[in-house]
Amino acid sequence: MNLELQAQVSAFVLRTAVLVDGDELETWLDCFHENSSYMVVPRENLEAGYGIGLMRCDSKAQLQDRVAVLRHASKFNPHWDRHILSGTAITSAPQDGVVSTSTAFMVVQTQLNGTSSLFCSGSYEDEIEVGAEPRLRKRLVVLDTFTVSNCLATPL
Amino acid sequence: MPSPISPEIWPARDYSRVPYRLYHDAALYEEEQKKIFRGPVWFVLGFEAEVPNVGDYRATQIGDTPVVFSRNEDGTVRAFVNRCAHRGAEVVRYPSGNAKDFTCIYHAWCYKLDGDLVGVPFRRGANGAGGMPKEFNLKDHNLTKIRVRIWKGIVFGTYAAEGEVEDLETYLGPLMCEHVGDLMRKPIKILGYQRQRVAANWKLYHENIRDAYHGSLLHEFNRTFGMSRLTQVAGGYMDDKHRHSILFQYAGSDSDEVARAAYAENGVQRGDYMTLNDYGITRHFVENKLGISTRIISVFPNIFFHQIYNTLAMRQLRTLGPGEFELVWTLFGYEDDTPELTQHRLNQANMVGPAGLISMEDGEALEMVQRSTQPDTDKAGVVEMGGIGEIRSLDTRAQEVTIRGFWAYYSQLMGLEPAGAQR
Ligand code: FES
Ligand SMILES: [Fe+2]
Repeated sequence: MNLELQAQVSAFVLRTAVLVDGDELETWLDCFHENSSYMVVPRENLEAGYGIGLMRCDSKAQLQDRVAVLRHASKFNPHWDRHILSGTAITSAPQDGVVSTSTAFMVVQTQLNGTSSLFCSGSYEDEIEVGAEPRLRKRLVVLDTFTVSNCLATPL
Repeated sequence: MPSPISPEIWPARDYSRVPYRLYHDAALYEEEQKKIFRGPVWFVLGFEAEVPNVGDYRATQIGDTPVVFSRNEDGTVRAFVNRCAHRGAEVVRYPSGNAKDFTCIYHAWCYKLDGDLVGVPFRRGANGAGGMPKEFNLKDHNLTKIRVRIWKGIVFGTYAAEGEVEDLETYLGPLMCEHVGDLMRKPIKILGYQRQRVAANWKLYHENIRDAYHGSLLHEFNRTFGMSRLTQVAGGYMDDKHRHSILFQYAGSDSDEVARAAYAENGVQRGDYMTLNDYGITRHFVENKLGISTRIISVFPNIFFHQIYNTLAMRQLRTLGPGEFELVWTLFGYEDDTPELTQHRLNQANMVGPAGLISMEDGEALEMVQRSTQPDTDKAGVVEMGGIGEIRSLDTRAQEVTIRGFWAYYSQLMGLEPAGAQR
């Protein structure tokens, strides 16, 4: 195993989750390559081969719009998220500087009244451009918890 | 034990006050299951396109009862309650699939695709002992059947015998036949599902769907990008019984300038309007003859259709007790869509569902209502926008009369109509 590569992608995936939990979504956007996509797809659609996602951003511009709308034009349950990640598994050898990885996650959501519950579980199926500054080329968020409690406002 | 709810519960005979108790009462919820979801109605199970081949099945829920619909050997669609006639186990365990027959895992009773019981293991006993009594007749132990009617690719069902409920087209009425019929005018293609669970009473969702007033106030994206504004040519129509409803509007029928001034004057918009990088999501390719840009349709008692620009969906409501419901959104396009149009529909699906840019707010609004009305069930909400008294269709979205229409029909079905009530 390439320990250096493993360390690099693990740290990078962890960073993306920590940025979301810290509500640093504008910095989180910097983790995406100019040509990248971000999709949150319910597991039932994936298994049936259906294209519908809960969030489906085929370009970075659309993902930026998602964050902008969240900031300026959305109302939802104010909350804190905590991503609990598994280790990151490298699922394919680097090709043209891009590796595929898989990372399981759980998100515990805390409401303003101080109660916490498991909001969802799933996995990140990522394509990461590795190097001095890693970037996501693609993030597919597979949502095992495919019925959403109330709403999914902040990205996963 | 609180006394049962009676017609006296209504503070106003035009339903302009809605008692909070209606969202919380457990006994009322049980009555609703009987009188509405198992009552003289046509509910919707799903789409024919979800079970194209013989043996295809899909499990769903009507009210809180688990049901299954499937494609029978003769090509017809059949439906039954998903509960084994033996000891009551669920017979179908997967949400969808293809089967040759339905065999219960508990004691392996076997049913045909249409729900007829055909096999009881060891019916004659083992080694000459035990077994079912001689009088036991398979025919008396079929799965509970649901009467099915297909209309334009939609699978409707009812427990009511013929004569106990109107025929389907009469039940739908001309308004639904026109608008749902238009959405189903050609073969559809399923694009996928979105699901959410909302900790609120199911009737709050009916109110929300019929709430013309909130569309651009709660959903800021709507007023920012002009998908829905109170300044547009719009309306809220109901059938004669107020059983079903449609809210509709024409985007572009107001100018940005006039609309924005109106919202500013009414103290709604306090900051600047935001902009997007990619306006693809706000593009509308007019597909219907009427040129309507948004239609939100309620078909009593368990489904809603929407056309929001080019995103099309049926939302099915499943009750999970007085304080929770699940909403399953089935997004669809048409079989003859170009790949570009399919892509556009997938993109516009970003606007709808539990993560939707113009719909994520609804769950939170309803959960807030459910929470805060719980401790004061003898108080009531106010429904006066658009006028009180007569319940009628209006050519504006600055109204809530369609909500009063819901309660008028609901009360008739539930036997809760006060004397001299508006109908
Ligand atoms: S409960 Fe189904 S076979 Fe016994
Ligand atoms: Fe809404």
